[in-house]
Amino acid sequence: MDVSEILAEHARKEQAVIVEKEVPLEVDAGFLTVTDPNPIDEESYKANLEEYLQSTARDGVQVLISALFSLPTTSSPDGPLAQLPPPTTQIPRAKPLPKPKPLTKWEQFANAKGISHSKKDKKVWDEEKQDWVNRWGWKGANKAAEEQWLSEVPMNADIDFDPAKKARDERKARVAKNEKQQEKNLLRAQGAGPSSAPPERKREIDRTLATTRVSTASMGRFDKKLEGEKKLKGVKRKFESTEVSSEKEKSQNLSILSKLDREPTTKKAKGGEAVLNVRKAVRAASKGKGSAALARDSNAKKGKKGKR
Amino acid sequence: MLRTIKPKNARSKRALKARESKEVEDPRTAIFVRGTNAGEKVQNVMQELMALKRPYAISFSKKNTVRPFEDPASLEFWAQKNDASLFVVGQSNKKRPDGMTFVRMFDNRVLDMLEVGVENFVSMREFKTPKATPGHKPLMHFASELFTTHPRLQQLKSLLLTFFNGEEIDGIHLAGLEHVISVTLGPTPPSLSSTGTATTTLGGPTGDLQPQGEALPKVHIRAYTIRLLASGTKVPRVELTPMGPSLDLTLRRHQDADAEVLKQALRRPKLKKQDVAKGLGKKRKNLEVDEMGDLRGRIHVEKQDLSKLQTRKMKGLKAVRGEAMDVDEESAGDEHTSSERKRRRTD
Repeated sequence: MDVSEILAEHARKEQAVIVEKEVPLEVDAGFLTVTDPNPIDEESYKANLEEYLQSTARDGVQVLISALFSLPTTSSPDGPLAQLPPPTTQIPRAKPLPKPKPLTKWEQFANAKGISHSKKDKKVWDEEKQDWVNRWGWKGANKAAEEQWLSEVPMNADIDFDPAKKARDERKARVAKNEKQQEKNLLRAQGAGPSSAPPERKREIDRTLATTRVSTASMGRFDKKLEGEKKLKGVKRKFESTEVSSEKEKSQNLSILSKLDREPTTKKAKGGEAVLNVRKAVRAASKGKGSAALARDSNAKKGKKGKR
Repeated sequence: MLRTIKPKNARSKRALKARESKEVEDPRTAIFVRGTNAGEKVQNVMQELMALKRPYAISFSKKNTVRPFEDPASLEFWAQKNDASLFVVGQSNKKRPDGMTFVRMFDNRVLDMLEVGVENFVSMREFKTPKATPGHKPLMHFASELFTTHPRLQQLKSLLLTFFNGEEIDGIHLAGLEHVISVTLGPTPPSLSSTGTATTTLGGPTGDLQPQGEALPKVHIRAYTIRLLASGTKVPRVELTPMGPSLDLTLRRHQDADAEVLKQALRRPKLKKQDVAKGLGKKRKNLEVDEMGDLRGRIHVEKQDLSKLQTRKMKGLKAVRGEAMDVDEESAGDEHTSSERKRRRTD
């Protein structure tokens, strides 16, 4: 046989599976779908509807089948599986995308620290029994301490010390703690976590901070800023105008004088009418140690003098 | 509204979990609802469509007072109760004889609807040909340029695709491809072929587009079985045999999807890290992820030129000047000059 004949034969075979159209067909292999964007041929449509429909469908399916047969395959127990690419057509979902599960506090911490999770097996190997036993639950390994027939008692233990009861209590406490943590995680997931509203103490501190800032002459402008401190709003220094009417000036000065003249209201300032501030004087004389220390010192000096 | 159920045992817990939304969705279940007056033809059509859709089909064969375009409440109730997201409602009356409404749901709410009228119907039973195995995935074939340009027909295509084939799979057994559902339109009327999409968006949500419905071509739905013949090449030659049912439909009322809801419904899950590494998101050459999840790259180095390699310098290896030239010429120079030189040497 001549080579040209073989080639011709091959070309003829190829011809049988090749479809030629004006506009190439769009194949979406992921959805096993082919779309033929060519306009409908009105003549053949009217002449013989069924035949026309079948021939168009055949051409389309031929293109689709060629595309499917050229896909890479994997073997499976039932035979070769053609691996389909992800579909190109977008189809609306039936249900919204699932929301990601909220992380537990431990998971958040582990993520931040880069701790990878390793799942514990449910069974652990028991050397004594030479068998796999449950880590917890029925005949669980976590109950070994309370079920052993002999247990050590510390030297200074009470007379009614029960090692089995102690181990059991400890285990129960661990379980209770875990349940509490789970509950907190659930609460946090619902958004009503314990730290969602600022606690009372924090609000108190904020309030105090705001008052202190207002009480300096510069309205806290040159104060040392704390970390995360917010800028106070609506706080402005107010300057009196330099020129005021004599009436006003007089009344202002009089008000200052009247303040000075008033009975002191605070307990501390009530100390007496004396000009000397006794408290301050004691503090200065005792170098901040207080009146008792001052008295002791003076006594000691007296004693020394007497001996000599 | 249904009450929210709190599972009391493991079985009901599993059942509820199966209904939760998933990243890769299960095949959609369709409910075929018989309206108050369905008529024999529509009932038969629904029966045959159900045969194609099996096993993901539920039949509501009693008379149901349901008007999807007026009040979708009962559809929403059924969707939730049956975990179904597709409906076909058959209803026939004087104004709209032999009507079928395709309804697609999202999150147990109506996403969009399309009403069609059945004109001609030939049952599967009338074709005395082999049928496809129930449950096998069909191929889909759409023919007309309107499927890419006209919003109503885009909606029809999307609906039918969802109905028969809207499930993402990553592999298929090629021998199991048994039938094709072909959707072909009638000849495009000249009014549509020129103006295209401009005329169509006026309809509004529940627009009864009678004058425009007239303008839209007929829809021919046919089902064929596929025969794959050996062609001598790797790709077989395809022959089709009509299997039935065959339907001729006209488009009637429709309700488009709300843009906001549609956006929600079209949201895709984020690609997995491994998929991105494999290059699903964007193309990455010469990179692959092995079974252990390690990223492996392949680098291509040009062939090393060993002729310029500097080896140990020795006196004995040094080429004599004249001889070296000859050798170079013979190896690298062109044939003509070297042969000439040889001839000269022999002279």
